[in-house]
Parts: sequence; structure tokens; C-alpha cells
Amino acid sequence: MVIGSHPRRAFLRRSHREGAIDFLFILPTLALLAGFLFYPLVYGLVLSVHDTKGFDLTSFVGLDHYAHAILGDAVFHQALLNTILFTAAAVVLQTGLGLSLAVLVADVKRGRTLLRLAFFVPFVLASVAVGAVWKFLYAPYFGVVPTVGSALGLSTQTFAPLGDAHWALWAIMAAFLWRFAGFTMVVYLAAIQALPHEYYEHAHLEGAGRFQQFRLVTWPLLWPQTFVLVLLTTLGTLRIFDMVWLMTQGGPSHATETVATDIYSTAFRFLNVGYAQAMAMVLLVVILLMTVVEYRLLNRRAEAVSS
Amino acid sequence: MTRLPRLRWSTALLSGLAVIWLYPVAWTLSNAIKSSADIYRAPWDVPWPPAIGNIGAAWSRGQLGVALANSTFVTALTVAGVLVLSVSGAYSLTRLRPPRRALLLILVLAPLIIPTEVLIVPLFSMFRALGLINSLPGLALTNIVGSVSFATVILTGYFRTIPQDLIDAARVDGAGRLQVLLRIVVPLARPGILAVAILVAVLTWNDFAGPLVLIQKPDAFTVQLALTRFSTLYATDQGLTFAGMAIVILPPLLLFLVFQRSFIQGLTAGVVRH
Repeated sequence: MVIGSHPRRAFLRRSHREGAIDFLFILPTLALLAGFLFYPLVYGLVLSVHDTKGFDLTSFVGLDHYAHAILGDAVFHQALLNTILFTAAAVVLQTGLGLSLAVLVADVKRGRTLLRLAFFVPFVLASVAVGAVWKFLYAPYFGVVPTVGSALGLSTQTFAPLGDAHWALWAIMAAFLWRFAGFTMVVYLAAIQALPHEYYEHAHLEGAGRFQQFRLVTWPLLWPQTFVLVLLTTLGTLRIFDMVWLMTQGGPSHATETVATDIYSTAFRFLNVGYAQAMAMVLLVVILLMTVVEYRLLNRRAEAVSS
Repeated sequence: MTRLPRLRWSTALLSGLAVIWLYPVAWTLSNAIKSSADIYRAPWDVPWPPAIGNIGAAWSRGQLGVALANSTFVTALTVAGVLVLSVSGAYSLTRLRPPRRALLLILVLAPLIIPTEVLIVPLFSMFRALGLINSLPGLALTNIVGSVSFATVILTGYFRTIPQDLIDAARVDGAGRLQVLLRIVVPLARPGILAVAILVAVLTWNDFAGPLVLIQKPDAFTVQLALTRFSTLYATDQGLTFAGMAIVILPPLLLFLVFQRSFIQGLTAGVVRH
């Protein structure tokens, strides 16, 4: 056997070059990310340690902006607290609601497609429309929420959820859940329908009731989906801007201020650009931390199911 | 006496919830064809006869024609860009070997972890220097950066289900990579590609933060910006505002209704597989 002419050898030698050419196919994406993600990130870091006039750098101030944001800015503290609170609530409620809907819908004999459609439709509506419609639903006197609330004796006709500092954030949360619970439901539903039927039969024979079946079969087997959904909801909510901006602009008196609305106002209304970017970098650190924590907590369980 | 089928409590609960869920959508669409007076006077009434005039008035007074054209252009450009990048990127990720692949995957996933909101200030500054403020292709560029990662991840999931032997066999037969990609991989992954295209189209059409910062000239407004200006300019004319909303939400709604099955299948398959 002549080693040099062995076809497999030749193929392997060529495969090194093959790999290099395969790599070329992802190069355009990497180039785009380099130009419009990593470069702005580095430039953002530079901005955050400078004073600015308009969007031009004036003087280097070191970590002053960070120190002020973390130690001395009550509005930013409020924004950070609101963002984390909103995200935590969104993760728990959206996952819980989506999973409950999925479990119930999976059990329905007829009309499953129609129900799935009903709950998923808000996902494809624009936040501008969602914000405007919910503002109407919450409007005192006219809106359906104060009207129904007063009919049930829970509130008065004059109740304005979005104008009330205690309620505004949770009023936005209701609209948020309405918009996104369907997404969670659809992902869980597809997974539940793919679960092997024998597990349930076995659990049934062992005498497990419906709740036991959920606790012992459905919930543990859905860890891969829970992992991805929790991560996606966290990443999507820590950056929340549009629905808040459209419904309250962060008000009343910063009760619904999130970090993203704070960044936007600070940079584009008050033109405090370097400082706004320092807040953005703090948000990025929070996002990275939360991602790592959730990954650590959930990935192992998800992997255990997948394998 | 005929026995009625027993109504299960879960079905009743779900039907009730579905009605609550659909109510704001139905209300928006019905208000679009009501006169403003009727919206206040009789909020629960069926809009009959329909006040079609709202739609025409919204179209002309809100300059929705221009905005619809702008949004269509940005959406088409974004979808095309994302598809080209994610199809070739996903092909690359399925072909490459583990150590390099994992690293690349992390790089591709970066936009999910580093959102536009964190970079909006430096991006605005960059776009100003490049003369891309008020530029629709510039807006499409930021949308492409935002969408390319999940598109690539979903498609990688799809491409992995295609047997590598099939690809290797075609390669041995002398087919070039591009040929393999276009003749074998793309046709087999068509459901995934369709789902990605629809998802990116819906997200781009609905994007608000990007145009809010990067577009300032009314000629370049997308539908979402036109709609926000609308509700401030015609705040007293509710019929008009709702008509504008209906026009803006209908394209993604119709797209979703037509492709419902493949959209949801593609979406869930992509999420479930990772």
C-alpha cells in the first residue's frame, strides 16, 4: 500500500483547506458584527469615560460617570430596580402563564389550533399599536379596565392605572404578558405534544393523578424549553424600552423608568451622552451577570434531559 | 332527554381566556371603522354601517402611503440580508468542527446578549459620522445585526437534521459548495427558512426603538413612527387613530395568519432544538 496515494489520506489533507473554505461562509456575518456590534461596543466604552458636548468627546473623566450612576443617581437606581423587578416578574409570570396555557391547550380535543392562534396573535402586533390600545383600555371613565373594575367594586371609574405610581409598572406588565405569553405557550405546547405517551401511561398505572403527572413527567422533561425560554425572556426584558416608552415614557415621576428609557432620555433629550453610555455599560454588566447565573442554574438540568 | 356533552372546566376557562386575549385586537379593528363619536358613545356596539371614511382619511392625512413604502423597503432589505448571512453562516457552523464551532457560535450569539439598547448611543454617533441618519438602508443594517444571530441559530438547528452523507456524496460527485448549499441544503430546510423570513419580517416591521433614534425626517418615517406622530397630531380623532393602527398591524397579522402553521413550527423547532 502506497501511503501517499491513499485516497483517504488525500481527502484528509484536502479537508484542512476544506475547513478554511467552510469558514469563509460565516465571514460576512462576523465582519458585520465586527463593524456594527464590537466596534460600537468599544466606542461605547470610550464614550462612557468621557465628557461630551453633543455627541463629541471633550475631556477624559475616568470612571466618574460610573461612580455617579452607581452612587449618586436616584433616578438610575429607580430604573435599575424597576428593570430587575420587571424582569424577575416577567420570567416567573410569563413562564408560568405560558406553561399553564400550554398544558391546558394540549389537553383540549378540538379547537387546539384556534386556541393557539388566539393566544399567539398579540405577538405579531407592533408595540406602538399594543401600547396605544392598552392606554385606551386603561383610560379612566372610558377604558374597559376601570369600567369593569368599578362594576366589580374593585376600583372607581376615575382609576388611572398608568397614572398611578403604585400600579403603572404592573399595568405595563399586564400588557407585556398579554403580548408575550403566547410565545412561551407555543414553545411549550410543541414540546409537550412531542413527549412520549408511554411516560404518562406508566405514571397513570402507578396511580399518579393529573397534578402528579405534571410534576413528575411534564415539568422535568420540559427543562430544555424552560432553560431557553427563561434565558430569552430575561434577555428580552432587561432591555425593555418600547412598551414602557409608548405607554408612560417612564413616568409618573420615574415610577416606570427602566434603564433603557433612562438611557434614551439622558442621551437624546438631555444630551448627556457620555453619562448615558456609562449607564448602558452598567446595564450590559447586569445582562452578562444574569445570563451567567441562569446558565449555571439551568443548563445542567436541561442537558440531563436532552441526553 | 338528550345528554349535553359535559363541558370540561378547562375548556370553559380556555375559551374565556381566548376571548379576553382577542378582545383588544377585535376592538382595535372594529374601532377603525367607527366614527370617533361612536367610539366614545357606544364602545361595545358592532360597527354598522362601517365608517370606511376613517381608513381613507388616515391614509392621506397620516401620510401612511410613504411610511408603508419605507417600512416595506426596510423589511425586504433586512429579510434578504438576514437570509443570505444566516443561510451561509448556518452552513458554515454545521460543517465546522467542535472547538472552532463553539467559539464562532458564541460570537454569532453576541447580539442576543448585547442588545441594541446598550449600543444605541455609539451607534447613533457612528451613523451620524457615516451620514446614515435618516437612511433606510442604514436602518436595515441595524435590523440585520439584531436578527442575524437567532436566524443563524434556528437555521443551524435545521441544517443539522440534513444527513452529512448526502452533502459529502454530492461533494464527491464534484458539486461545488455553493451548488450543494443551493440545490440540497436550502430546499431541504425550506420550512425553517420560511419561518425565519416571516419572523424577521414581523420583527423588522414592528421595530420601534431603531427608527425612533435613527430616523428623524418625516419622509423617511417607518409606519411605526408615522403611527406615533399620528396619535399626537390627531389625538382627538380616535376613529382616525384606530384606522391608522389597523392599517399598520394588518400586514404582519395577515402574514402570520397565512403562514401560521409553518411559522409556529419553524419557531418552535428552532427553540426546542437548542
